[in-house]
Amino acid sequence: MSSVPDRALSVSDAGDELWLIEPRQHGVVDRIRELWHYRYLWWYFASDALKAMYRRTKLGWLWLVFRVTAPVGISALIFGGLLGVASNGPPYFLFFACGMTTWILFERSLLVVTRSLERNRKLVTKVYFPRMILPLSGVAPGLLYLFILLLVIVGTVVYHRRREGIWYITLRPELLVAVVSVVFTLVFTVSVGLWTSVLQARYPDVRQGIRYLMPFWMYFTPIIYPVTLIPEPWRWLMALNPMATIVEAFKWGTLGYGHLHPTSIVISLGMILLTMMSGIWFFNREEASSIDKL
Amino acid sequence: MNSLVVEGISKRYLVPKAQKTQKTETRFDRLRDLFAIPLARELIGAQELWALRDMSFEVQAGTVLGVIGGNGAGKTTLLKVISKVIAPTSGRIQGRGRVVSLLELGAGFDDEATARENIFMNAAINGIPRAVALERLDDIVEFAEIQDSIDTPVMYFSSGMYLRLAFSVAINMQPSILLADEILAVGDLAFQERCLLKVRELARETGLTVLFVSHDMEAVSRICNRVIWIKDGQLHRAGEPEDVVTEYQNAAWEMLTSSDKPEGKGSSHAGRYGEIVDVKLLSADGREIGSPPKWEDLYVRIRFRTYRAKTQARCALDLFCKGVLVLRSSQPDLIWVVPDMVYEALVKIPASLLSETNYTVNVGVTLTRAEREEHALVVNRALTFMVYGADAREAAVGKHRMGLVDPTLEWSLEKKADVVRA
Repeated sequence: MSSVPDRALSVSDAGDELWLIEPRQHGVVDRIRELWHYRYLWWYFASDALKAMYRRTKLGWLWLVFRVTAPVGISALIFGGLLGVASNGPPYFLFFACGMTTWILFERSLLVVTRSLERNRKLVTKVYFPRMILPLSGVAPGLLYLFILLLVIVGTVVYHRRREGIWYITLRPELLVAVVSVVFTLVFTVSVGLWTSVLQARYPDVRQGIRYLMPFWMYFTPIIYPVTLIPEPWRWLMALNPMATIVEAFKWGTLGYGHLHPTSIVISLGMILLTMMSGIWFFNREEASSIDKL
Repeated sequence: MNSLVVEGISKRYLVPKAQKTQKTETRFDRLRDLFAIPLARELIGAQELWALRDMSFEVQAGTVLGVIGGNGAGKTTLLKVISKVIAPTSGRIQGRGRVVSLLELGAGFDDEATARENIFMNAAINGIPRAVALERLDDIVEFAEIQDSIDTPVMYFSSGMYLRLAFSVAINMQPSILLADEILAVGDLAFQERCLLKVRELARETGLTVLFVSHDMEAVSRICNRVIWIKDGQLHRAGEPEDVVTEYQNAAWEMLTSSDKPEGKGSSHAGRYGEIVDVKLLSADGREIGSPPKWEDLYVRIRFRTYRAKTQARCALDLFCKGVLVLRSSQPDLIWVVPDMVYEALVKIPASLLSETNYTVNVGVTLTRAEREEHALVVNRALTFMVYGADAREAAVGKHRMGLVDPTLEWSLEKKADVVRA
């Protein structure tokens, strides 16, 4: 009998490396190393997730554009135009669109990420690769939506410059905060998705649940309304929802309006970290037994 | 050097308790099920199912290990555990090098993508960078013989092309361990042959370890160095291919014939007019055998009886090989038979007629009453046996002779002096 290799799990890279299969999955660090080794696969699943969005449609990728612009346009018209919700400064459409960017990334991605294991059932039950690639590549459609919405925002800003002579968004260092908020949206989405994708593999009810939960979650996030609508003493509670802080941060970074309180930032970062750590732990622990049930 | 060490691997599945069958279910049961608290039923009634139980074996590098066993014995589960697709419940496996699996034809293939895209996708699944895959591209395409269709979506491929591509991709991913599950069941004979030879060649020259799951005993005994027989999730036998395969075939044969009435799919061995009592394979000296040697005469004995008077009988047999009807033979004359007597038909298959491969025999007895009413008794798959040669592993490699039958034909070659030139 050969001796036990020092490192439990190895990436089957060099032809001679030893590996070990045991009932328990191996440490997180090794798994992330393995993930890196399989990074090429991200593109395949990402493009597959993208194509699935408009597969067999005649309008093709145009659907992706409609799917973002239509809801944003209509909602902005209803809330800003008809109901007259205050925006605290910038034109309502711009206020709303900036609030929606990170939210759309989160909402659309989460649904795709949740179904990622289930959707690739055929592959997952026949070929081995690090399964975490699937939730990770599920953010691709959301990223594309984000990109489309950013183009819309740029267009709107240029439009307002032409009509009113004001640059609502300018190139300034604060824009980096918006970029960071997008990065945190990705981290948070995947973290939540690590839970939901595994649960979805066992209980298809999860997707239904998320679909109905999302609108409520959106109302608890200051997108339609400015965060100032919430009384000051209660705002820290809102920070328990990391998306609230992320959305505010994006608006602060782009439009310069927004209320970022250090306490809120700390609470939200804590929530994201907690979700991420627990997500990785849960996914690692449960992925194998979930695949048995696929 | 051990390439693979499997130590006490078990795999347990928890499956929901079997639902009541439709017949015993009352209307009330159905109503209760409809309003039962969701989830509760699932949590209470889980049932254990052991797909693998405490299996241990070691495989040396360069071995072609045949994995045989009945359907549902756990062969595929074993391969899936080794390829990390499913996690074992207990035990552990140590291995060396890259594992590439051909668990199912076209797993990891996207039908809408072209052959070229699929090659890169498969490389990525195996953790191989695009640049490396690009170097392999020519080899892959060449072995698969799809030069002209490389940019065609694979959904337009014939099943043969599909198989060739899948196999070619797998062996070009530089595996140290190749897991092949029944993949050669499709595809033409010539390509099957090329695959088998390629597998042997890689095993011998590069130390590739192959786990070859197959129901084709002829292929198993031809290309494997060792065979394990899995039964009910446990390792039943391990050893030399000839020994294990012979034993396996004898067991399979006994199962078919042990129940005192022969059975088989679509069989009607007994009818209003009579019944087929049993079908046996006998050696020249009258012993019952499972795998006959090529160089001896072989007998098929059919025992039957009729219930009616004034009946004439005629026995026949169909000999199948790889799903192809090799021959149908029947007794030339109708014979008068009397009720309640057992008759025995014996048909001799001469030595050196059959190939060294698997055969299946269907048996039929036609009973004709009063020269008008005809009734056929049939036993499908009455016999399944493998003919073995002097050296089962080496015999067919040269391929100086091949085919569904292999009679010894007379050849002559002589020099003719007078060649007429124009």
